[in-house]
Amino acid sequence: MHGKEFILACLRSFFAIVTLVNVAVFVLGFTMDPERLFGYEVFLMPLIYGALGILPNIVMYSKRELKIRELLVRKAIQLVLIEGLVLFAVFYGDKNMGDHIPSIISIGVCIFLIYVIVNVIDWFQNYNLAKHMTKDLLEFQKNVKE
Amino acid sequence: MELKVIKVSSEQPEQMEIRCHEVSEEVREIVAFVKSRQGQLSGIQEGKQYEVPVTDICYIEAVDEKVFLYTIKQVYETRQRLYELEEVLKEKYFLRVSKSLLLNLMKVKSIKPALNGRLTAVLKNGEEIIISRKYVPALKNALKGGVS
Repeated sequence: MHGKEFILACLRSFFAIVTLVNVAVFVLGFTMDPERLFGYEVFLMPLIYGALGILPNIVMYSKRELKIRELLVRKAIQLVLIEGLVLFAVFYGDKNMGDHIPSIISIGVCIFLIYVIVNVIDWFQNYNLAKHMTKDLLEFQKNVKE
Repeated sequence: MELKVIKVSSEQPEQMEIRCHEVSEEVREIVAFVKSRQGQLSGIQEGKQYEVPVTDICYIEAVDEKVFLYTIKQVYETRQRLYELEEVLKEKYFLRVSKSLLLNLMKVKSIKPALNGRLTAVLKNGEEIIISRKYVPALKNALKGGVS
């Protein structure tokens, strides 16, 4: 994936991540720290995490078609980089990391789930597209034969 | 080379004749082009030349600067370039689906999703061909409105 195709894929990922980060922050906040209050700056957080989440997309950049194994390896690297970047951004400068182990695990699991959901959404969009194209293909072949 | 086009009456058969000092690469290219327009491609297999009907070809792939014709059971090498074949075979329902592959739409059974936004064309013989995301809009358009 490269060029315009790569940029469009990044944009799709960005908006999917922003939406899912909002859901994750709600679920995690509601279960772990429901009394906490925030200022308006909190609205920026999903956007920042969305931007951080698409930075590792660079590992998916390729001018040639990737083979399935290459693709899976790159996706695994991408996930590790996203986990690292987001956890670094959330806990940077925190001297009591040991006190936050449950939070680190929860956020790590959330990032993993978001990553899986983004990929599943992408797959379902493709599934629908493929279904419509198969229908058009059969119609096309029928018309040519007639 | 001098070029002559002579009109003949409808009673006489149409024919093309090439008079040359030797059958050069250029002459072979002209012959291959004419044959492809007539629904046949010249393919080489184990040193022998064959005439392959276009309708038997499932896909055409360029690999390391060589171009191969794939039928259900056989693989032939051709001297024609992929971009030349793309132009000539548009009317025969062949479409480019990746940088190095032309697919015969009449040999596709179904389309299914693949990883990373790509699609896979499942051929009638069960073989699977990756369709690059870049070529999906052209394929969609061809299926809606026809290739040519």
